[in-house]
Amino acid sequence: MKSDEYIKTLVLFRLETLSSNKSVSIGAYGSFKKQDLIDHVKKEDEIGKKIIDIELEFIRAMREGKFYE
Amino acid sequence: MNKSMLITRPENDDMTLYLSIWSHQLIERAKRSGFEVFDLHRERANKKDVEGIIKSKEPLFLVFNGHGNETIITGHKAEPLIILGKNHNLLNSKIVFSISCRSAKELGKQSVDEHGAITFTGFEDDFVLLYDHTKISRPMSDDTAALFLQPPTEFTSSIIKGSTTGESFQKAKTLFKNNFIKALSGNSDTSELRFLWWDYVHFVSLGDQNARIN
Repeated sequence: MKSDEYIKTLVLFRLETLSSNKSVSIGAYGSFKKQDLIDHVKKEDEIGKKIIDIELEFIRAMREGKFYE
Repeated sequence: MNKSMLITRPENDDMTLYLSIWSHQLIERAKRSGFEVFDLHRERANKKDVEGIIKSKEPLFLVFNGHGNETIITGHKAEPLIILGKNHNLLNSKIVFSISCRSAKELGKQSVDEHGAITFTGFEDDFVLLYDHTKISRPMSDDTAALFLQPPTEFTSSIIKGSTTGESFQKAKTLFKNNFIKALSGNSDTSELRFLWWDYVHFVSLGDQNARIN
């Protein structure tokens, strides 16, 4: 599996853990429920790419041990 | 320095509704602290009123709740209020807090570096709010949204109390981190973590960190 496909799979897996009563508002893009987010990531559109960026930022911080600095 | 504050409170989607409701307490706190408050709510969060009040009343502290991008802060129904290259000089000699996406990146940076804004605090990328949509009619009882809205609220509150921009920013930044640790180690839904971390990382304060309102 290529790394970008791996990351997309990881993001989709993470989104599955989002509670169904939660919504995410991303600036002027609007608000999205769990299934909306999953659909955008699958389509790899602008919002999907933003969700992937958010996940990558989180993974990078985790890898670099920044949470408890 | 004059003790006055302009706050915009558009309400045209879930995020602006949450920001607006959360701002009630700040408006009351500011009034109790002797501030003259210019509250531009819903339709009044428009360019004409913002420009008029900044020019005629000269509030020192400007709080923008809304949306935006690298060069624009918007108001009700996404009307552009502050536009880099057009009316950004309205931010001259102001302490500015913009809870609007990405506006710190270019508008904020140029306002401080080149056009005389005292400070510009905000987000250099999209501000993300996770909330419980079953509590949309009661935003103040939404514990998930609180994790994201307490830090910016703390910043404004701290400025009102007379702390410097730097002190206020550090309090808000620490609260973001504490909320993150709380979500990481507590009973919270851990799906919140990545969104909270994103806001923490992209929350910045530019300009004179010793500036305060006395």
